[in-house]
Amino acid sequence: MSQLVYGVWEGKPYDFRSAPIPAGTELPRLEDLDDFDPGNPVKAFIADRGFLVFDASVSLIGAFQQYISRAAESSCGKCTPCRAGTAQIRDQLESLERGESFPVRLNDIGEIARILATSSLCGLGQTCARALLDALTHFRDVFEREIALAKAPSQHSTLYMTAPCIEACPAKLDVPKYIDCIKDGRPDYALRTILEKYPLAASCGRVCVRFCESACRRQTVDGAVGIKMLKRFVADQAYPLAEGVFPKNLTPPANANKKRVAVVGAGPAGVTCAYHLLLNGVAVEVFEAQQTSGGMASVGIPSYRLPKDVLKAETEGVIKRLGGKVHYGKRLGQDISVDGLLARGFDSVFLAFGCSKGGMLGIQNETPTPKGYSSGIDFLLDVHKHVECGEPVSLEGEVVVVGGGNVAMDCVRSALRLGAKKVHLVYRRTREDMPADHEEIEACEKEGVVMHFLCNPSRLVVENGRVIGVDLVQMRQTDADEEGRRNVEAIAGTEAMLACTHVFAAIGQQIDRRSLALEDGIRVDRKGIIAVNPETLETSRPGVFAGGDCVLGALTLIHAMDHGSRAAAAICQYLEEGRVSPDPESRMQAVLANSHLLEGEVISIPQRLRLRASVPELEVEQRVGNFDEVELAISKGEAYHEAERCLRCYRLYSVVTAEPFGAVAQATL
Amino acid sequence: MKTYINGKELGFEPGETILSLARRHDMHIPTLCELHDIGHAPGTCRVCLVEVKRPGVKEPVFVTACDTPVAEHWQVLTDSPMVREKRRLQVELLMADHHQDCATCSRHGNCEVLDTADYVGLRSSRFLRGTDFPMPETDDKAAIQFDQTRCIRCLRCVTMCREIQGVDALEISGRGFANGVRFHNGFRQEESACVACGQCVLVCPTGALGERDDTQKVIDYLADPAIKTVFQIAPAIRVGFGEEFGVLPGTNIEGQVVSALRRIGADVVLDTNFAADLVIMEEGTEVLGKLKNREGVTFTSCCPGWINFAEKHYPEILPRLSTTRSPQQCLGSLAKSYLAEKMHVDRKQIRVISIMPCTAKKEEAARPDFTKDGLADVDIVLTLREFARLLKRQAVDLKSLEPSAFDNPLMTEYTGSAVIFGTTGGVMEAALRTVYFVVNGKELEQVEIGAVRGKENIRTASIDVGGDVGTVRIAVAHGLKAARELTESVLAGKAEYDFVEVMACPGGCADGGGTLRHKKRYKKHSAERSKGLYQIDKSRKLRQSHHNEQVQKLYAEYLGEPNSELAHDLLHTHYHNRRNEALASIKKIWDVLKA
Repeated sequence: MSQLVYGVWEGKPYDFRSAPIPAGTELPRLEDLDDFDPGNPVKAFIADRGFLVFDASVSLIGAFQQYISRAAESSCGKCTPCRAGTAQIRDQLESLERGESFPVRLNDIGEIARILATSSLCGLGQTCARALLDALTHFRDVFEREIALAKAPSQHSTLYMTAPCIEACPAKLDVPKYIDCIKDGRPDYALRTILEKYPLAASCGRVCVRFCESACRRQTVDGAVGIKMLKRFVADQAYPLAEGVFPKNLTPPANANKKRVAVVGAGPAGVTCAYHLLLNGVAVEVFEAQQTSGGMASVGIPSYRLPKDVLKAETEGVIKRLGGKVHYGKRLGQDISVDGLLARGFDSVFLAFGCSKGGMLGIQNETPTPKGYSSGIDFLLDVHKHVECGEPVSLEGEVVVVGGGNVAMDCVRSALRLGAKKVHLVYRRTREDMPADHEEIEACEKEGVVMHFLCNPSRLVVENGRVIGVDLVQMRQTDADEEGRRNVEAIAGTEAMLACTHVFAAIGQQIDRRSLALEDGIRVDRKGIIAVNPETLETSRPGVFAGGDCVLGALTLIHAMDHGSRAAAAICQYLEEGRVSPDPESRMQAVLANSHLLEGEVISIPQRLRLRASVPELEVEQRVGNFDEVELAISKGEAYHEAERCLRCYRLYSVVTAEPFGAVAQATL
Repeated sequence: MKTYINGKELGFEPGETILSLARRHDMHIPTLCELHDIGHAPGTCRVCLVEVKRPGVKEPVFVTACDTPVAEHWQVLTDSPMVREKRRLQVELLMADHHQDCATCSRHGNCEVLDTADYVGLRSSRFLRGTDFPMPETDDKAAIQFDQTRCIRCLRCVTMCREIQGVDALEISGRGFANGVRFHNGFRQEESACVACGQCVLVCPTGALGERDDTQKVIDYLADPAIKTVFQIAPAIRVGFGEEFGVLPGTNIEGQVVSALRRIGADVVLDTNFAADLVIMEEGTEVLGKLKNREGVTFTSCCPGWINFAEKHYPEILPRLSTTRSPQQCLGSLAKSYLAEKMHVDRKQIRVISIMPCTAKKEEAARPDFTKDGLADVDIVLTLREFARLLKRQAVDLKSLEPSAFDNPLMTEYTGSAVIFGTTGGVMEAALRTVYFVVNGKELEQVEIGAVRGKENIRTASIDVGGDVGTVRIAVAHGLKAARELTESVLAGKAEYDFVEVMACPGGCADGGGTLRHKKRYKKHSAERSKGLYQIDKSRKLRQSHHNEQVQKLYAEYLGEPNSELAHDLLHTHYHNRRNEALASIKKIWDVLKA
């Protein structure tokens, strides 16, 4: 890390301007700052908890002027100190920068900075003046010297405003902003905020795994803000009202020189990428192996959680509305190939074909596959075809599902709805270890699934080519390892048979190896996962990008959509410049994440308790035998109250460099 | 559970805020955005700062008293030097973009901002962002005007509109200094969901919200010798206006109001109460007809806020509304026909000026349906705030005036039934008194009907009227949140009624959006006012509308009978679907977001 010259961090001043850093001094540690923009050294870093100067030539007045300007621009304007204070400081620093003022003004600035920091309503106001206040308190001489010199060096600030929920979200959705829109009585604006990132707002509002809520600072007060339920609220609220949420005039007019991009896979990653490309005036054709759009969100998520029409409207519906084409029944490696697509004149290809081959248990009697045995994913595909096309599925008898993730939950809950006599879930670890959402686990229990924890299948019992049972062995937890994680081991001699007619293995997914051929020139790893530049999503073949589950392994909807939107940005740059460069936001995100700047903050001031709204649900007895949506939307009144629970934990960060971001790298091209 | 405020040990309730605890013990903490009466504490002004020392924590923190719950063993200081300095700075910053030309403000300095500035001892204005404030955008058609330059973002109006009234016409838009309140999608009032009930005006701490000031027009009319000014005063006025001049709330000052109007030069002073009795005859006849034919529910129609609400939010209910015009409009149309004829005055010379506790009445008077041959039936509506301004501009001190009686022989008599129009349940009670008489040929034994009185937002009862009508299922709703609930349940078929009274303002007209406003309070004198109205009812010799002799004379000499053709022409109306669900253009939103 660059050498610290002076600064204040977490209230502690550091000053090595006249003396070297004494050995053994503990310094604030920031990761990845040196890699922020190679060749363009960082002069200073300003954060919510202080500032660090690495180059004594930096102008503090200039750096703070730009920093506070952004805060003033972003101030919601409701509370007095932030509305008036940020603008006041900005203007005063600006006049100091222009050399129009005299040192006594620093007192005013300090006074306002103090009231901002100590009395603002939300996180932005509370944190945006702290570094400035520290600087004025401990390094007032620097300001005074700058004023006397009246000559500021040229420098650039890369500013980034974020919040714990935003950073936790793989797609970096501006959560407080859309919650603000709800609070302000503008649900349509809230929806547009979400649509800036991805088109699947109503779907995400139903099935997202909510990294944002896990990071919500309100958790320690009275429960995380119901971010997901609010997202669904705005999507449901604004969709029926809008005469077409995506009007034709959103996309630039067609022209003959339009670049063409092929997107392989109409899942969340592919659709999101296609959507952004279309909005940027690129012609897009989407190739999908299945007969419907939505990918794993369609096949893998049962319609009692995500109704098919909602998903279809936000995938195929959006693509078509924006003028894109979707070709169904086109499987990569079978009907189309990367080579073939490029040969057909596509300027770029985005691979997002997923990771949807079900894993098997690897136990006795698995091959040849007996009747009644399949992977969880294949079962869900049957369920999907049943709901979507009315194909018959019959599940008389008892059903055993093996696994502890969300796919396993979807399998057991679907089996219940398809008339299984009894449904068992077998998981080799404990309930606490289950990776599935706890709401899902609770719903399973409520709906009557029989849970078997610390239990694992050891053999399929097969008769006349049909499953008639499964042997289960009891497991026990081993002692905790160095990382504190406890493993499990089988207890010999505890095997016992559970009679059943179906066994579904929901224990993970794999890439379909047949998708890519050697001559496609796409590097993959041992498991068939496509290797990409993590920042730009470029594959080993120029012009070919990849994202979603085929890069991540089976992961979440929101991860896939993030890849889709980043790939679109990269592809747009590639189409225009023939190269892709990293963006300052992701570099900033790396600094914040690896330095853990947005983690573990606690709220020390008591807050008025406002309990989290609960999502209305279909009664349990109304659920069996159909795939009607279980979770319902909250009311407008509840949405206002839920939105008002948001503490707006915005934080502003600034990296000050000599040159603009990326300028050095571009000059050396 | 114990904690300390200014060194004094105090017990507190779980979840209780510092402000609430301090108030319970008569310790003053200055507030601005907070309004306890409507449960509003958005924490935006940051004026109610207090210093808190927590056990085991060295550094004190400064928190807003309004929204911070107390914890055990705190040392709360509400008036330490640091606190006072911070509050002063807070108000100084608040004033940075506040239009401080108090002379042109509708509050004339009588506002909560100046009180707060005074309390904190503001002596400098270092941060004032210039004095060149833009003229507020005016909307001549709208009864309520908003001046963003005087708004302090307390958001009381939003809470009122959203939570108390359930109208939800407002949105908050813009960042930084541009942040403010407006109608959804930046609509004008006419196209918005706003029904002009004016409850927002009652809670605004500054002059940001006010009615369209029509006092100058009245002064011009009074000064014009060619014009005959005809004033009418609403039922609720006699109990809700005296406060402004130092009379005890709820005191009947009818006589002084009549004197005051004469003093400023009114040619004719009429009483809207007369028209209230008339409305009972018209509406009662209408309802009775429907009851006999089992034609389903009838909603009252004398509240213009409710009419706007039905037209904009639930047009499906419009066929269920009584077609009888409101007392104000009945009086206006009769003043320019019956009265003009009897007094031998050209109707073109008449200007009807209403004094109303209502902002929506301004819009009602402007409805094209209420004009005849290009002349409006009611020319100007003044709210009580404007009426007070008018009297002050004419240097009339109401309190010192000797009361005098109405002297117009045609349209000033009223019964007890008329005066209770001014409070929730009054129209229903008045109607039932007359309906009972018409059905049974005799008066109710108990003239006061307790079942319809009270303050619950929705009151229902089944009342046996006897005769060929039998039991009448009635409901009374006041406040639009209650009106919404009731309308929805009727439309959904979940509730069945025969006759429903709706008043848009919580409490009815006596607490209307055009009544006097009180700093830091909402509906401060509600109880005294409704009590005052019921007392007037009690004191009247005649308590049923059908006994009003002037009304009887009107029918005998002019209209014929209730619901006659001429009565229909002059006293009934029809409604319009004004629902507007259009959203702001999607492209516009996108452009705004990208900017």
